[in-house]
Amino acid sequence: MSGGQKGGQVIVIGGGLGGLWATLAIAAAGHRVTLFSLFEVMRSHSACAQGGINAVLDGKGQHDSVQQHIVDTIKGGSYLANQPPIQSMCEDAPGLIRTFERMGVTFSRTPEGLLDQRLFGGVKNKRTCFAGASTGQQLLYGVDQQVRRLETEGQVAKQEWWEFLSIVRDDDGVCRGIVAMDLRSLEVRAFRADAVVLATGGLGQIYAPKTTCSTNSTGAAASRVYQQGARFANAEFFQFHPTAMLGADKTRLMTEAARGEGGRVWVPKDPADRRAPLRIPEAERFYFLEDWYPSYGNTVPRDIASRAIWKVTRELGLGIGGGDRVYLDLTHLERGFVSTRLGAILSIYRKFAGQDPLTTPMEIFPAAHYAMGGLWVDYEKDPATGGMRRGSPRNHATSIAGLYACGECDYAYHGANRLGANSLLSASYSGRVAGEAVASYLSGLERGADAAPAASFDAETARQAEINQRLMRSSGDQNPFRLHRELGELMTTKVGVIRDNAGLDGAIADLSALEQRFERLDLGESSTWANQSLAHARQVLDMVRLAQVMAASARARDECRGAHFKPAFDIAMPADSFPGEPAFEAYRERWKANNAEWLKTTLAEPGPDGPQIHFEPVDLGLLAPEQPRDYR
Amino acid sequence: MSSSIENSHFLLRRLHSLLGLVPIGAFLVFHLWENSQSRFGAAHYNDEVVGALQGLNYLLLFELFLIALPLLFHAGYGLVIIGHGRAEPRRYGYLRNRLYWLQRLSGVGLILFLLLHVGLTRIAGLFDPSISADLFTHMRQALAQPAVFALYLAGLLLAVFHLANGLATAAIVWGLTASAEAQRRFGWVCAGLGLLLAALGVHGLLGFLIAPAAGGGA
Amino acid sequence: MQARMPSESPACETVELQIRRQDGPTTKPYWQTFVCPVRPGANVVSLLMDLREHCVTQDGTRVDPVAFEHNCMEEVCGACAMLINGSPRPACSALIAELEAPIRLEPLPKFPVVRDLMVDRAALFAHLKRVKAWIKLDGPWDVHERAPRVSPKEWQANYLYSRCMSCGCCMAACPQFGPQFGSQFGPEASFVGPAPLAQVRLMNAHPTGRYDKAERLHAIMADGGLSDCGNAQNCVRVCPKAIPLTTAIGELGRETTLQAFKDLFGPH
Repeated sequence: MSGGQKGGQVIVIGGGLGGLWATLAIAAAGHRVTLFSLFEVMRSHSACAQGGINAVLDGKGQHDSVQQHIVDTIKGGSYLANQPPIQSMCEDAPGLIRTFERMGVTFSRTPEGLLDQRLFGGVKNKRTCFAGASTGQQLLYGVDQQVRRLETEGQVAKQEWWEFLSIVRDDDGVCRGIVAMDLRSLEVRAFRADAVVLATGGLGQIYAPKTTCSTNSTGAAASRVYQQGARFANAEFFQFHPTAMLGADKTRLMTEAARGEGGRVWVPKDPADRRAPLRIPEAERFYFLEDWYPSYGNTVPRDIASRAIWKVTRELGLGIGGGDRVYLDLTHLERGFVSTRLGAILSIYRKFAGQDPLTTPMEIFPAAHYAMGGLWVDYEKDPATGGMRRGSPRNHATSIAGLYACGECDYAYHGANRLGANSLLSASYSGRVAGEAVASYLSGLERGADAAPAASFDAETARQAEINQRLMRSSGDQNPFRLHRELGELMTTKVGVIRDNAGLDGAIADLSALEQRFERLDLGESSTWANQSLAHARQVLDMVRLAQVMAASARARDECRGAHFKPAFDIAMPADSFPGEPAFEAYRERWKANNAEWLKTTLAEPGPDGPQIHFEPVDLGLLAPEQPRDYR
Repeated sequence: MSSSIENSHFLLRRLHSLLGLVPIGAFLVFHLWENSQSRFGAAHYNDEVVGALQGLNYLLLFELFLIALPLLFHAGYGLVIIGHGRAEPRRYGYLRNRLYWLQRLSGVGLILFLLLHVGLTRIAGLFDPSISADLFTHMRQALAQPAVFALYLAGLLLAVFHLANGLATAAIVWGLTASAEAQRRFGWVCAGLGLLLAALGVHGLLGFLIAPAAGGGA
Repeated sequence: MQARMPSESPACETVELQIRRQDGPTTKPYWQTFVCPVRPGANVVSLLMDLREHCVTQDGTRVDPVAFEHNCMEEVCGACAMLINGSPRPACSALIAELEAPIRLEPLPKFPVVRDLMVDRAALFAHLKRVKAWIKLDGPWDVHERAPRVSPKEWQANYLYSRCMSCGCCMAACPQFGPQFGSQFGPEASFVGPAPLAQVRLMNAHPTGRYDKAERLHAIMADGGLSDCGNAQNCVRVCPKAIPLTTAIGELGRETTLQAFKDLFGPH
């Protein structure tokens, strides 16, 4: 192994929950970790998660069970996720919570001083641990503090303000290190490592600015390893959250609980109505969710609400003032009640919109929220338990040997749609599993990265430096920031909440036109110190290439499943018909026939003419798809 | 483990804080009370108050160890502390920040004032016995000059402010007041104490001017 | 905050931005003025983002885009703190409509400038290490036992501190913190600052974090520790998360007093 010291040398890229958990697990096994981050570690997007983290503690008198958590997760994802990893994740969740608690995470408490749990979407039991309204931030800081301690002990070294550019593979195709760029000096340098873990988060910026994601959630790192041959899975599955604040820079999340507590969604019947919302009489308001879904009303699931808002604004042209916005109204509710139950989002809205939701309806619109898809990762099934085999080096390994992925940048746990409060769980759990897998991988490794030929490192460094030089010399007329904006508009419109094949074909064509325009880039600055335009231009190009994967994957899947919705292929559940009745049973047969054709993982690999799409079967060993998703 | 003892930093800072209150602060209170006796006339002041004090055994030791040395340390180390900060009273116009700045300003001002004050009374007294024999008249003559009176008034107010504000921050430093409300409440107490001491001091200054002179006909 | 109907919002179409720029850590700073279009709800970060696309000064000169940090844009990651009209605060939550024009932007003071509005807050993180702001775990594995209970009341107090996002505003406003003070004796001697002190308060309150309480207290009783606090209390005024930093400092004052007695008179 490298360095001649005891233990191996591992590179972890990304300092969010996944990356920090992987770091802890790898260090616990006695290996050294170099942690790469685009910015100071602890500023990652994990901090933005508000609601909570799911784990069955069964402390609320509801007879909750791990089995039920597994079933909810599988069905929430429309059966698209492999079931062994889900089983292991749900089984390990309580232990993970206990560990977080030991780290000092300030989970909210019951009057008895135990962990409190609350109800979240898509489930029947109170299963969500939370720390006020900043759960992600608290979990992130818990592991960040542990990593900081390892840093003082010399087991972890941080490379902050370094951007991952590519992996370095040896002659056998094994990943032996990375090439990265110092975002200050712009130095491009190769780093050797016995294994590399990618924990680079989501890709919501591909939909910017209509996304709840942080500005560094670009997906560029995942795109880069995809371009180097790593398989990308289920790219067409992207969750849109129905209620996000409007914003020219970013759309900020307004939690689902706003509707749960009685908030009503409406638009003026006349989109040209310029009156202040509260001056519009009831008769001139269109409560479309209540109209279209009388039994559920405003509390329909996320995907249905997002599609309804989309239909009202984009198809019926009934958005407020004809634009992309609808009202989420809390003004009819009792003020004290709203303040206690929704205080956190009220303050975000007040702070960022400068308006008080208690006196003015909030203006909201669906926004890109979470990528269910990501880098394809392997797992080894334990036949004895049906879950993942603990400590297997195959767990969370990408299709490139020596390269692992965890957190939102992998595809493993959420299938076609993610349950609320399962993302913090999957990020933490997958980080730990990936770390353990790396440790196993290292113990079976015959030659470390030191043995890899210098030529491959030199060649890759030179290739990346050359890309930088080409960009710095560019003298076209295409501004990288404008290209990013156009990418976001294009993806929001054509690869968004509702899709159709003509639009997707258009998107694929538009994306390659967009990619072409990078030939005529105008970087806008030539500084050789902390040149953010250079880094951004590189990211946007890789985002365009990842967007191509998303569009191609969406084009290939002719059905509706979870977050992927193509109306032309919709098999609608018959209204007012329930299991056992003929209409429902006929629907069930059609639904099963559709599963037989489409219940499979989408895989994308880079090809000469763009992404090559193929499919692989899903492991359904635990729960066969007999029950369609039915939230009635 | 007892690294707070091995490392002198903490103890020095706390010593600085403590000495400011006891004995220096305590002495200031006593000193203001002592001088407030001026309004009862030269005889009372010179004989009953100053005279009694001058008659104390080991007076020099008291003066040295309870006043001079603590004051020198407090002043000297205070200057070191001032060197470790940079006040921005204009950028951050909050009360506590202004007080932070004033505490340092008053500290420097006091050092200058005390040099003059001690020089003109205690030190001058060493060379000219008539000064300590009739301190009342000495002070009365000095304070009759508006410039000297203004100087003494300023010195008095600086000292009182420095003590009152020092008491408020010492309560935080030593952990008496932790919550913002407690600090605010105790802040009012200190402000009240400061006003009281200021009144006492001004009363004493005026006393030198309005009280009957030595042997004068009360 | 006062509620405002969108129709009533002032029709300000552009705003003047004065930005203190600096090309590198050792070069001289200079000022540039930009006139930026303002969309409804715009904040300082969104303005800077728009400016990247078309970075032209007031007098029509095309210049390099302004370097700045940002990430979450909802005041939870701490990246975008800077000096806005003289006050340290996160730029993402600084709404243009609520700022006095012209808007002056400067890098967060007290920290070394990397470029333009980007600063290096390494000192803050070094100080977190110095005060041992963590709970000592045997390892990140499950020990099949939960941590001891915490009363809701205690939780409520702790939660205030655990929301600290290390943005550095409190440090920037602190008259006692700065590279110029004590740094000649190495970073270990300069004032540790309010944010790390609050973390000591938080870690010492944890049921098992308490085991290392004396160690953390000793760390803040050394040079540049708690006693270097001058009680100017700007920290608590500028903290964007309203963390009761000065209460933590007061509590630590009490704890260190007791610790000193223990150190002096035992038991250790």
